[in-house]
Amino acid sequence: MVSLLRNQKARNVLLQVLYVGSLAALVLAGVMIARRNLAEQGITSGFDFLYKSTGWDVNFSLLPATANDPYWWFFLIGIINTLFLGSVGLILATVVGTIVGLARTSSNELARLLGRTYVDIFRNIPLILQVFFWYAIITHLPTPRAAHEAWGMLLTSRGLYVPAPNVGGVAMALAILTVIAAVVLPVWLGRTSRLSQPIGKRLAIQLAGMAAALACAVLVLLVARLPDAPLLDFPALQGLNLKGGLRIPPEFSALAIAIAIYGGSYIAEIVRGGFKAIGKGQVEAALSMGLSPWRVFTLVKLPLALRAMLPILANQYVWLIKATTMGIAVGFTDFFMVVALTINHSGQTLEAIGILMAGFLTINLSLAAVFNRINKAIALKGNQLRG
Amino acid sequence: MISGNATESGGPAVRIENLDKYYGSFHALRKVNLSVERGERIVICGPSGSGKSTMIRCINRLEQHNGGRITVLGTELNDDVGNIDEIRREVGMVFQHFNLFPHMTVLENCMIAPMIVRKRPRTEAEATARRYLEKVRIPEQAMKFPGQLSGGQQQRVAIARALCMQPQIMLFDEPTSALDPEMIAEVLDVMVTLASEGMTMICVTHEMGFARRVADRVIFMDGGEIVEEAPPEEFFTSCRNERTRQFLSQVLGH
Repeated sequence: MVSLLRNQKARNVLLQVLYVGSLAALVLAGVMIARRNLAEQGITSGFDFLYKSTGWDVNFSLLPATANDPYWWFFLIGIINTLFLGSVGLILATVVGTIVGLARTSSNELARLLGRTYVDIFRNIPLILQVFFWYAIITHLPTPRAAHEAWGMLLTSRGLYVPAPNVGGVAMALAILTVIAAVVLPVWLGRTSRLSQPIGKRLAIQLAGMAAALACAVLVLLVARLPDAPLLDFPALQGLNLKGGLRIPPEFSALAIAIAIYGGSYIAEIVRGGFKAIGKGQVEAALSMGLSPWRVFTLVKLPLALRAMLPILANQYVWLIKATTMGIAVGFTDFFMVVALTINHSGQTLEAIGILMAGFLTINLSLAAVFNRINKAIALKGNQLRG
Repeated sequence: MISGNATESGGPAVRIENLDKYYGSFHALRKVNLSVERGERIVICGPSGSGKSTMIRCINRLEQHNGGRITVLGTELNDDVGNIDEIRREVGMVFQHFNLFPHMTVLENCMIAPMIVRKRPRTEAEATARRYLEKVRIPEQAMKFPGQLSGGQQQRVAIARALCMQPQIMLFDEPTSALDPEMIAEVLDVMVTLASEGMTMICVTHEMGFARRVADRVIFMDGGEIVEEAPPEEFFTSCRNERTRQFLSQVLGH
């Protein structure tokens, strides 16, 4: 026995058996306790509730929703709301972060000071506080009758009203997909035409690709427009309220702004780090050949900084997607809030939380997978790098 | 309008007059005077911190000088951005750490500046790039990335990259100092070939064998000053200055 315990292989097997055994025991105990508690409260477990109608409504949805719709439809709405808030928040945070990050690496002292102040302030205030702050500001905007108006958009305490195209849901989804393609296509074209085309022409090809995709989007909207209605539905005052257009509720705006500003302060640091990581030598080499500072930035600094930033950026994006769950604090019906409402109304706690976890895992693992692919595709080749 | 003729006219390739350079309160270059003729090969040596790298980095404005005048190919190096661009187009530089662009292939490294700065069409830029890669004896590596090459190969790519701009002057800033001994030879060979073709070269290096073979003049710097300036045979046999003798005994002594 002693000799067997001293055997390395036998020890490893024993440890594995103990580990798996205790894990299984834990899971089993959890399931049994849950079943007993559920039975005591008279709740039937299972996913049948998904097909029942909810009896409650959400305050914002990109898809048509009524209180008669089943739970699964509301889960879908919740996921889409989370993705919508997430994408708007991430894009804005990236824009803010890039500007602030570049200001922090600038040679201009004032820009550096402003950038540093921004990061110091917004990174050190809890996100939930910032959400409440922006929510308070937005709900104190003027009433619909005294709305601020610009480019057909109306800014009121009840939300931001923007013109919306008069098209069906499918056409709208298709148009959104083409717009996404308009962003992705130039990146892809830039990579594939990298060797076969001169650098100057590459930009032209990329712009052409983008224009083509955008034209497709416009075409989809034109073809699918509802008959006897103007192409764009402008919001307008009717009585005491606004009708028409798309209403972006204050809850959504507050969250998007807070995520953009808070996330932006983190992304600014990532951007700064990325640019700090560039070898001074590569920049000097580019300058020494007479490339202009702008070309040095686009051809050398940016591509190298991006490579240094990407892994950390992916991490930050995953974090910010999870931050959309702040929606529940101000009452935006994101995925988390839909799940919370479901638990309150149906009592199917375990199932709903299971769906919540699976949903967020899927979103974030997909995001991470996409970033890993990009990362791998653009990784610097070889291991003999210096400088 | 940039005066294209200014760079073509006669006179020395580089003229440095009373050059002063400070890093904060540190006086890196003290009233340095140097004139380099067209086609001349200059080797600059000296202990570290003597200002030799600083001086050649002033020639293409990687460092900004604080006093004196630098005239390159008849164009004065001052705050005029047009002048700086004009000079950088005609002056190639090779660095100690190669400084290749790691995200571009070897070929792209060599094509990018001619296409953008000299506005050469792609086919022409590629033909030029391949010709110079041939010249530095690594045409087969054109589609590889810098990180996949050895140090010596990377430095030869860096030389080819600088040559693709078809410069009139080449600056070398300790091109072999970061290389393993067996790779030093392959880089020096390329530099010797270049010298034999009449390129104006200013090399900061401690390769005294190279200095003996190709230099028209060897310059010894110490403490931000040019201490000794002589043709190699005179420099190595009968230098006048005590500090030069001390330096030479350390470099050649083993």
